[in-house]
Order: sequence, then structure tokens, then C-alpha cells
Amino acid sequence: MKDVMGVIYTGDKDSFLRELTLVRAIAALPVAGRYRVIDFLVSSMVNSGVRNVGVIMQKNYHSLMDHLGSGKEWDLHGKRDGLYILPPFLTRENVGVYNGSLDALHSNMNYLRRSRQDYVLFTNSLILYNPKLDEMFDQLDDSCDAVMMYTKDPAMQRPEYGTYFDVNEDGFVTDVEIDPTKPRYENTSMDALLISKKLLIDLIDRGVAHGYHDLMRDVMQRMIRDAGLKVKGYEYKDICFRLDSVQSYFNFNMKTLDTAVRHELFREDRPIYTKVRDELPARYMEDAKVLNSMVADGCIINGTLDHSVLFRGVRVEKGATVKNCILMQDAYIEEGAYLENCILDKQAHIKKDVRLIGPKAYPIVISKNMVI
Amino acid sequence: MKNKKQCVAMLLAGGQGSRLGILTTEMAKPAIPYGGKYRIIDFPLSNCTNSGVDVVGVLTQYQPLALNAYIGSGAPWDLDLAHGGVYVLPPYMTGKTGEWYSGTANAIYQNMQFIEQFDADYVLILSGDHIYKMDYNKMLRDHIKNNADCTIAVREVPWEEASRFGIMNTNPDNSISEFEEKPANPKSNKASMGVYIFTWDKLRKYLTEDAANPNSSNDFGKNIIPNMLGDKQRMFAYDFEGYWKDVGTIESLWEANMDLLELPMPIDLYDKKWRIYGRSPGLAPHFVAEGGSVEKSLITEGCEVYGKVNHSVVFAGVTIREGACVEDCVLMPGCVIERGAQVRRAIIAEDAVIGAGAVVGETTGNIAVVGANVKLPAGATVKAGEQYNEK
Repeated sequence: MKDVMGVIYTGDKDSFLRELTLVRAIAALPVAGRYRVIDFLVSSMVNSGVRNVGVIMQKNYHSLMDHLGSGKEWDLHGKRDGLYILPPFLTRENVGVYNGSLDALHSNMNYLRRSRQDYVLFTNSLILYNPKLDEMFDQLDDSCDAVMMYTKDPAMQRPEYGTYFDVNEDGFVTDVEIDPTKPRYENTSMDALLISKKLLIDLIDRGVAHGYHDLMRDVMQRMIRDAGLKVKGYEYKDICFRLDSVQSYFNFNMKTLDTAVRHELFREDRPIYTKVRDELPARYMEDAKVLNSMVADGCIINGTLDHSVLFRGVRVEKGATVKNCILMQDAYIEEGAYLENCILDKQAHIKKDVRLIGPKAYPIVISKNMVI
Repeated sequence: MKNKKQCVAMLLAGGQGSRLGILTTEMAKPAIPYGGKYRIIDFPLSNCTNSGVDVVGVLTQYQPLALNAYIGSGAPWDLDLAHGGVYVLPPYMTGKTGEWYSGTANAIYQNMQFIEQFDADYVLILSGDHIYKMDYNKMLRDHIKNNADCTIAVREVPWEEASRFGIMNTNPDNSISEFEEKPANPKSNKASMGVYIFTWDKLRKYLTEDAANPNSSNDFGKNIIPNMLGDKQRMFAYDFEGYWKDVGTIESLWEANMDLLELPMPIDLYDKKWRIYGRSPGLAPHFVAEGGSVEKSLITEGCEVYGKVNHSVVFAGVTIREGACVEDCVLMPGCVIERGAQVRRAIIAEDAVIGAGAVVGETTGNIAVVGANVKLPAGATVKAGEQYNEK
């Protein structure tokens, strides 16, 4: 049992995800055949003993709310604590649109104050990983005011995008750079901050009083550099993925076809929970051919699958071929269709003998409910 | 103050199901996995939820632990309610005494207080032995319309098989004139499905009288129903059409699984209006590797297939390694088929490991079974019809 509450901010910048985030926040993006991005964060919090999780919503939050529901699937539907959905709202001092994480936290000060935990783990939602957060919690001691997580994985760095830390020999963060043209530090922020609630509330209050909008850019960066705030760095060493573009989204899903990656992400000791749909197991028919693919329950397969990820309830008819594709929930591929390097959003319908071949580096995205 | 419910369901889940052999040595029959992601008890429980029956007492006695853990709070069936829901009812002590459930009727008799708590007008008696989808609410409406004391669900069975069942002889208005247990010369082919609705006041009276009779075997089929018929109570048959399968033997359990591989399915589990709910193990979707193949099969989350699977039902978390071949099989949750093993016409129980190169079952003949948590040594053979349970 930990004295930590989790707060997840889902207002991440998502313009590089094109059509995929037109209808949903990044946190609600379907991944790995049956999950949403946020399942990983919420599950790892729960698996680390966190019993109170607040999810700050910003835009397109309907699908996220629908998915999280009462929090039952994560055992977060208790009387004490549980899952709190925090949508934007309008009041005299709150305009409902957050210009950054500080605005979002400020709008939800009452939730922070009312919660009985003394520590807060504050995260964004575009990094997908399955951390053992207890290890991070153990880092917080008298020597520091807060702990921030980072990784040295070079694949997590992006030009002109991302937050990077300078960490000294003693493990403390000495500088923070945000969205530099070329990252100068090898430590990429995992967008996870562990801090005492008292200090966080104080920082929010002072930040807003100075007209600031973003916790990291406007407050933490200044406090670390200019005010001697002692923030320990905690290095995360396992696999992680940053879902900030169509390409990275596509690559992540394809990576789950790698058995070593899959076993590291889906661990018996740290299960990932998600909303259950009570579908029948996947059905393979006479003419099904399948290799290197991940297929969810409720699918009916009578065509050929090669190196693809199929979400729940997808149907692939006889003679259809699906290669290097991601087919979201309830997609329907008619006879003789040929798909390569495509991402089909939910309920997309590809008619008979249609051929769609995208370049590997720029997969075709078919929007939700489209018929082609 | 009473929390009134019109109808309370009582699910008899205490039987051992000894004809299922080594599958039920450590687990009650209703907890047996079925259909790739269900357990037998999911069917009556989901039927209750879908029929709007929201109080279900589950009477357990034999090896109840797996069943208790599976039912838990009842959330998977939406039966985790503030008023009502699912209750596990094991035998309990009263004063200084207490006794096991001596029969199906005795199990209900010992829980009369439970039914009275809900001030129920009707009691629905169910068993955890069958695979079927049934609207109990329709049957209840029939029961009320007939002003019946007891309604028994029946289905027509082939005449040549009728002597294996409890047979109801009915009048033109479907009232029951006679009940014959396994008659040599059946007069009707309407077989009891073991699904009863009783008007509670009547049932309470008969249960109480039955309990006072030391010669009774305290059984619905042997005592309560014949006694009520003898007293000319209003007893009606309720005709049920549709898939209904007793999964009481190894062969019938295997067959009922194989039925799901047919299309259209003899029991439509794709029906979104009548979903069968179950507890989800919460694993990643299954994965089929290069060199693996799956045909004419049902396969669910958490499985990894590196070998060949044909015409089989594969439960959650099963691993089938390179060169292994699985045909006409039921592979229960968590089992592992090692490299090169050949498994045909077999049921492999939960978490069993079939060693490399082992041969289980044959292309014809009876179903082979390997018990739960068993490690079958590499290269070993289990013949058709054999049950292997050495630990």
C-alpha cells in the first residue's frame, strides 16, 4: 500500500498522429490488439499499489471516459479512493481549455486537496511502458524534493520535440531543456514526476499566480535551475515507446509481434488490464493462413494474415490478404482485398478486391467507419 | 424490512460430476472450462443476467475453491449488486449441528432462509451441468399465466434416447400427467432439463415435509416432483427448443466443444443480445508465429502458437511449440505442448505440460485426457481413451 496518488494528464500534443487522434486523445488510442494507451499507465500504477488515480481529460475525451468507466477493470471502483475522471469545466477562474499541464492541475486543485495521499505521481500519457513504479517510489527520501523519470534509450529522442534532463553524478537533475532543435542531453524525460502533494500544490499556486501555464516548462525548469529545487533523476531501463506520430504508432504495434518485446511488455507479475468485451475466441476457418500476427478475440479469419495486428471483432474473408497492417476493432475486409502497410481505424470496411498499398515509412490511415 | 424480489435463482453446483474422471478430482463440474474462454457455470449465470434474474444462490459442496474464486464478487455477470447479486452458499452449522447437503432438495431446504430474505414469490432451480441459452423470464411468465405450482423445462429428445432421461407425459394443455425416471417404454419424448420454477409457498411446504421424512433421498427428481404430482398440484411442462448439451462425460464435453467449430454454430455465441459472460484472464491477444498454423479452430488471448493447430478449441495462455501438432483437441487454460508432441482427440486440462515428442490420443477411438498440472514426460504415450494423472 502506497501513500501515492496518480494523476494522468491526457492533453498531450497529438498533431502528428493525423486522423488517428481526430476522434480521440492519445491516451485512448487502441494499441496491441486490445488495449488503449492509458491501460498501461493505469495498470502499472495499480500494480504498484496506487489506489487513487485521477485522469485529467482535455479534448475528445468521450472515448476515454467510455473506456475507463467506473474503473472496475483496474479494481479502482472502491468507496475509498478509486478512479476519478476529471473533465474540463468552466468557472470564473477556469476557462476549460488548458494551455498546459499547470492549468490542468490548477483546475483540479480540489481533487488534489481532498485526496488523502501525501504524494502525487503526475504523468503525461504518450509514452507506453510497463514500469515497476514501486522502484521509483523508493527513490523519494529526505535528500530530495521530487523524483523525475528519464530514459537513455536513443529511440525516445525527437528533433524539436521532447523534454531532456541533465543529470549530475549524484543523480540529481541540474537542467531541463524542452523541445530543443537537437537534444543536448542523452536523458529523455519519461514525463513522470513524483512529488509531495504539499509541495505540488504550493508550486501550482505560485505558478498560476505568475501567469504560467505548464508545470515542466514554466515551473519545474525554473525551480531546478534558479531556485535550487532538489529533484532526483530515476533512470528507467526497460523498453518504452513514444507514440507521437503515425509512424511511431505503427512501429510500436509491429514491435509487439516480436516475442521478446511482447514478453517484456505483458508480464505475468504486472498484468495490463483493460475493458473486457466478452467476445468469443478468435475463429480460424478452412482457408485461413496466418503468420507472425497477433489476433484478438472475436475475430473471424478466412484469409491470409502476415505480420499484422488485429483488434477484437475483425473479419477477414476468403482470399483477402492483410500484410503489415493494423486493423482496429470490428474492421471488415471482404473477399480478395489486398492491404499492405495500412492502419484501419474502428469499423473500417474494405470492399471486395480493393487494393491498398502504403509506403512502409508512411502507412495509409483509413478513418473510423470509412467504407472503401 | 425485506428487499423484495419476484424470483430468486438457486444454482445446484455441489455435484462432483464423477463421470468426468480426472477432470473433476480437484474441481467441481460447473467450474470446468468450456468453449475456449468460458466455464460451464457461465451459461446458467449469463442466462440469469440476460433474463433479468438478479439474485442467484450458488450451492456448493464438492471441491468448491476453484468455483468460489471464479465467481468472486459476480462482477463479470453484472451480479455484483447492492441489492441481490450472486451468493455462494456452502453448507453451514446451525447451533451445535450442521450437515452436508444430502440431496438437491436438501440443499434448497437448508437455505430456505436465504430465499425468504428476498421475500421471493418464485424460485428458479438450475444446475451447473448444461450448455444452453434460455430465457428464464419467458418460462416464469408461462408459470404465472398457468397459475402453476411447478413448471419444468422440457425438450424433445430422439425417441430412441428417451429411456435415458426423466420423461414428462403431458396433457394437451401441457400440464404434466406423469413423470417417469428413465422409462423402458417411454410414452413421451419430453425430457426434463433439470430447470424448474416453483411457487415458493408450495415448494417450502414440500421441502419441509420431505426433510421430515427419514426415508427420503431429498432429491427433486426422486421425491419432490413425484410427491407434488401425487398430490395433483398444478404442474406444467415448458417446451424449450434450441441447443442443450449435457457435458457430464468426457466424450460429451469434448463433443460440445467441437460443436462450436461448426458454422453456423449450433449454439449462437455471437448473439450480441444474449452474450455469455465470463471472467477474463486479461492477457494480450494470441500470437501465431512464422511456421505456426491454425485452421478450423477457436483460439483465445494469451496463446502463443509456433506449431500446428487444426480443428481444436484452445483456451487462454496456451503455448504450442515448434513442430507440435494439435488436432481435434480441447486445450484448457495455461497448458503447454512442447516441441514435436502430437496430440489428437484429447482433452488437456489446466496447466498440464505435454513433454517434447510425447504422443497423446489417436486419430480414432475414445478421447484421451491428461489431468491438471500434470507433467507428461518427453516421449511418453497416452493411448486413446486413457486418462493420465500422475504427478
